[in-house]
Amino acid sequence: MALFLLRRLVLAGPVLLGVSVVVFAVLHLSPGDPAEIMLGPQATHDDISRLRSELGLDEPLVIQYARWMGRVLQGDLGRSIWMKRPVLGEVLRRFHATVILTASALLLSTLGGIALGVLSAARRNSPLDRLSALASLFGASMPSFWLGIVLMVIFALGLGWLPASGMYAPYGDGGVGDLLRHLVLPTVTLAAASLTIIARLTRSTMLEVLGQDYVRTARAKGVRETFVVVRHALRNALIPTVTVVGVQAGYLLGGAVLTETVFAWPGVGTLMVQGILARDFPLVQGCVLVIALGFVLVNLAVDVLYAALDPKIRRE
Amino acid sequence: MRFVVTLLSILALVPATAIAQPAGTLVVGLVAEPVALDPAQVTDLNSNRVGRRVVETLVAFADGSTQIGPGLAESWTISKDGLQYTFKLRKGVTFHDGTPLNADAVKFSLERQTVADHPANKLGKYPFANYFFGNVKAVEPLDELTVRFILKEPRASFLDIMAAAAASIVSPTAVRKYGLDYGSNPVGTGPFRFASWERGQRVVLEKNPSYWKFPVKVDRVIYRPIVEDQARLTELLTGSLDLIVGVPPDFVGQLESNPKLTLLKQVGAHVWYLAFNNEKKPFTDKRVRQALNYAVDKDAIARDVLKGTGAVSKGPVLPGTWGDEARLKPFPYDPERAKKLLADAGYPSGFSTTLWVPESGSGMQSPVAMSTVIQSNLKAVGVNVALQTMEWGTFLAKLRTKEQEMFALSWMAGAEDPDLVMYPLLHSSQWTPNGPNRAMYKNARFDELLGQARLTTDQAKRAEMYREAQRILHEDPPWIFIDHEVQTAAHARRVQGFRLHPSFDLRVETISLK
Repeated sequence: MALFLLRRLVLAGPVLLGVSVVVFAVLHLSPGDPAEIMLGPQATHDDISRLRSELGLDEPLVIQYARWMGRVLQGDLGRSIWMKRPVLGEVLRRFHATVILTASALLLSTLGGIALGVLSAARRNSPLDRLSALASLFGASMPSFWLGIVLMVIFALGLGWLPASGMYAPYGDGGVGDLLRHLVLPTVTLAAASLTIIARLTRSTMLEVLGQDYVRTARAKGVRETFVVVRHALRNALIPTVTVVGVQAGYLLGGAVLTETVFAWPGVGTLMVQGILARDFPLVQGCVLVIALGFVLVNLAVDVLYAALDPKIRRE
Repeated sequence: MRFVVTLLSILALVPATAIAQPAGTLVVGLVAEPVALDPAQVTDLNSNRVGRRVVETLVAFADGSTQIGPGLAESWTISKDGLQYTFKLRKGVTFHDGTPLNADAVKFSLERQTVADHPANKLGKYPFANYFFGNVKAVEPLDELTVRFILKEPRASFLDIMAAAAASIVSPTAVRKYGLDYGSNPVGTGPFRFASWERGQRVVLEKNPSYWKFPVKVDRVIYRPIVEDQARLTELLTGSLDLIVGVPPDFVGQLESNPKLTLLKQVGAHVWYLAFNNEKKPFTDKRVRQALNYAVDKDAIARDVLKGTGAVSKGPVLPGTWGDEARLKPFPYDPERAKKLLADAGYPSGFSTTLWVPESGSGMQSPVAMSTVIQSNLKAVGVNVALQTMEWGTFLAKLRTKEQEMFALSWMAGAEDPDLVMYPLLHSSQWTPNGPNRAMYKNARFDELLGQARLTTDQAKRAEMYREAQRILHEDPPWIFIDHEVQTAAHARRVQGFRLHPSFDLRVETISLK
């Protein structure tokens, strides 16, 4: 197991390096210049050139990348052009909000998805199954920014049950209850698509497993149906689900960018959007790197879980 | 179905009541998070709307207009040659950290921006160092409370510049203490002092109990950045926000008819224009430029695209201010006259051209929608316009190539002095890339008038020169004149005594809460 973990960790290095090259290239090759944006329309050509050279933007891209990477390897993500503060501190300060949102969305989509999938499979072609298929279609095809606004209009504006945005009431002392109230709408918005994907997958693998010989044997022994479904079938059906949950975790981490922006959630996503608008290269690179690292770690955790569920994988 | 069940079960766990809002706290929704709270280091409105509550300037605009009045300086004198401005500072004013306000603090605040080897110069980037203060030769403290500014050449708009956000006086002690982080820990003399800033969530200011000007009635102001329009609006409608500024045009009608809210409108010192490259054919012919002014239906843009958040303009100067030529009227919408002028100029069947438009940008209102209307107006008189939209930074960079034919741009002078809008945008010494005259406009008489007016200290004489200059611009138009932005704000009934300011400042210190 230790060797397995080590191999996986070593493999994460090249992945992060690749991510950093792609992000750097995309940012620097896309139109927009931080100096122009920062100094605004009253700036002269000289002002802009001076700032560009102070920021090191007038050097060849390869040099800029090498310089940045050199610092990153020493644990320094640079200073934000826009906020003028160290990137690492800012990103980490915002990361916990993203983790809270992503984790609660993952929890909702996994538990909800598996429950829905198992129920649909156990009562195949029942009205519940049909309804869940329909709901899945909606869930998977609604863009999160639209769903978020619809939920906000219904539950915050119309019914007044929940706050529309933010993570805490601006004047409270930030208790858990306050956080939970603010968490509901963004969590549902973020989880909707993943929940339906997990539900459909669980349903189909459950159906497959429920048709296998050992399930028939179990039923023939007179085991209660609930026990058959939960104990015998679900465990085996969960292996592909775990893989998908891992993929979805990464998707949620990235998808949080939109949800955070809609709900003014103070996570890495809103920070990154501000960074992109200001063409704040060090800040955006830092955000993406941290999100990518999160993605890699989640996948690692999934692989470990996978190996724990299925001993065959460890030996491969 | 399952969604609803899941949702309801989560809701069951959640405490039913929200935290009550404290009585003396004002919560303001901003469209974006401030960049930094040091006005000398930022160019965006949101930063200044918060930052200017903490720091103040030597002279200040009156409430409701951009007429200059005393600020941290209680009086000032201007030398006969217009080269020396001597300010007498208010006695007994201290910064929030206890540092006394004195002549040295004034010198420090300006020179940290303009003097390259000043110890605080490397602590920030100062976008206005050249544009505003490039003309300042020296700042000399004469005694504890008297400070003299010596200019390189006379500049009649200098007091307006001293009222700009970038001219705010900061606590030298605080700048030295916080260094690069001063922008996140501002210290000034203003009605509110900085309390905390949780990025992405809120900036909190607390009232300055010993404010020199008047007793502040609000205990605390909390600013929340909420980018999504619907979220900001929902927070206002549900009472979680007391005040929002910058109501999206599409929501104006809805808020206007809401009895629980007050919607405010105020024309700002801003101009949105569609410039020609006056050096390129066919725009070298002023009949073509006049024709295109007649061809565009400005009223329709203000009414249908901007939903009343724009006031049709007849030139760069803000209507109703001292420099305005009130006898001029906006070009009427008259496509027939446009066609005739085009025919006279030798383009009976029109011509083709390109229009560069930024997708967004400070003060740009709804650039693409507005340009699309203009495009179809121009097509109706035979002018085929290819619309090219681009990202803001790229757009500004491309304008320096001088390859533009037509482009949409705006200017926020923030003050009413005509010098601050006409000189940079239209004087021939300001041609891009060395200045903001990206329309490459040049008119000898206009140049002469503007040059004279900035050397003249008598405001009545200056006004006469600016009025003639505006008549020239109407006859020999450098742009298609479109609109001046009408700022909007909406607030809850409990907010009393608030007014929008033409400089786009957000003066919440005048508010009391019912």
